[in-house]
Amino acid sequence: MTNPMAGSALEAAFVGIGEIPSGRYPHRPFMGALVEVAVAAIHDAQLEVSDIDTVLLIPCLHSPDDQADLIFSRVVEELGLHGRAKASAMLHSGGSSSDNITRTAAGLIASGQAKNVLVVQADKWGSAPVADMVDMLSGYGIPREWERPTGLTFNAVGALITQRYMASSGSTPEEMASVCVALRQWARLNPNAMYKDKDLTVEKVLGSRLVCDPLHAMECPMLADGATAFVMTSTENARTKHDRWVRIAGSGGCVSHYSIGQENDLAVLGWKVAGDRAFEQAGWGPQEADIAQVYDSYAAVLTIGLEGLGLCKLHEGGRLFAAGEFTPGGRLPVNTNGGLLSAGHTGVGGGTALLVECVRQLLGRAGDARQVPNCRRGVLGGTGGTYMDSQVLLLERVEHARNR
Amino acid sequence: MTQSLSDGYYAALERGELVIQRCERCGKNIMYPRYACPFCAGSELGWTRSSGLGTLHSFTVQRVGAPTGFEADLPYALGVVKLDDGVQLLGRLRPDPAGGWDSYSCDMRVQFDAVSDEGRHIAWFRAA
Repeated sequence: MTNPMAGSALEAAFVGIGEIPSGRYPHRPFMGALVEVAVAAIHDAQLEVSDIDTVLLIPCLHSPDDQADLIFSRVVEELGLHGRAKASAMLHSGGSSSDNITRTAAGLIASGQAKNVLVVQADKWGSAPVADMVDMLSGYGIPREWERPTGLTFNAVGALITQRYMASSGSTPEEMASVCVALRQWARLNPNAMYKDKDLTVEKVLGSRLVCDPLHAMECPMLADGATAFVMTSTENARTKHDRWVRIAGSGGCVSHYSIGQENDLAVLGWKVAGDRAFEQAGWGPQEADIAQVYDSYAAVLTIGLEGLGLCKLHEGGRLFAAGEFTPGGRLPVNTNGGLLSAGHTGVGGGTALLVECVRQLLGRAGDARQVPNCRRGVLGGTGGTYMDSQVLLLERVEHARNR
Repeated sequence: MTQSLSDGYYAALERGELVIQRCERCGKNIMYPRYACPFCAGSELGWTRSSGLGTLHSFTVQRVGAPTGFEADLPYALGVVKLDDGVQLLGRLRPDPAGGWDSYSCDMRVQFDAVSDEGRHIAWFRAA
């Protein structure tokens, strides 16, 4: 099916982004981070706070109390939008929340129910007690009757996927480690990345201790604090203030399972189904993408995504990372903010940060060090829970010569 | 009246048996157990004994970072098993005779280990 919104005045447009550095910032208040990135994104969109009529919240995972603040519209009151905002709601599908929130915002804009939508996210995963977070992640997305009694953890979920991917593709430990090294090269160019100051080598990765075979400690994502925001409006509104914005050329998804024990092929997941749906809608193919930003909590999660989306050959993802295909200066820039593995895993925000980076690159605002030249089309891939879904948004820059 | 799905499954594991759900209407095997048949939405669901034989789709050894209550189990191995019955599940893998899991590999044949799970609600597997 072709994109029904293409060419419509009510087609959604990304017009502003905001972000603060990821890492460990125990003294940075949760609400303060939310407000800071919200205001930054609104100003980046050349709007005033009072222009926002709908607030959509990406969930936080570090604290049920703070998450309750998101659910019950504290952000609206903090921004002074109480009495003005039409709606405030949190939408949760784990790591793919930003993809589903984007679709929701686009639908509200297309149906005339929202004019200017603020999406905002913050998490303090890096400052939360690690043992509590391990326990939480040993429950989320894991059926309590059937799988929790085994002692399954989130690293084990990533390891089960990695083991199967390595068996199916014949990828070596060195090739898998090279994915982490490539992401670190990108992170070194991103002032907001958790690991912007530390180089990484294959030897260092494979020399770190085994956590969950075949995953070493440095192949597991580091929990981080972080915050991001973006603003969406209609194309007709975008035209009045901007000479460029980002549209959604295509969108597709596939919910492949809930529990890891029920996934039919751990080296495939739902990417091909989701990608085919999205590319059909966009009318362009993976070979026309200028960048890809695909969820990367573990190296194999990323290579499986790239392969399923047709961005490289099946079973070749690991080898192509080792060959430098996806690093700065390579054929296809991938996860140019450093990804979850090197920019930091900010809970649900890891996917949001990839989305914000995709929009940033398409708007040409990534800065000299990592801006991809002539970046017009981006492939965004998100996934939540135990990689239960594969969510694809195909984003495209629109340029508009303003009449003056 | 909807009944707990786990009681029958757990009781079988305590007896040293692996049971899976079967739809009396369409005859299909079901795992994990469901409140309605995922194939025909039928509600007449019963238990059937699994052959216990299957193929190891993937596995891992948890070496550090166990959830609370599992620390004393470390290291332990988890595997996704595709049973010959046409259904799949996550279980634990017994260590091999050398005391580790080096002899395990994806796609190897495994079988349910019929030693009672001592009330822990875990399906254990070993090399077939």
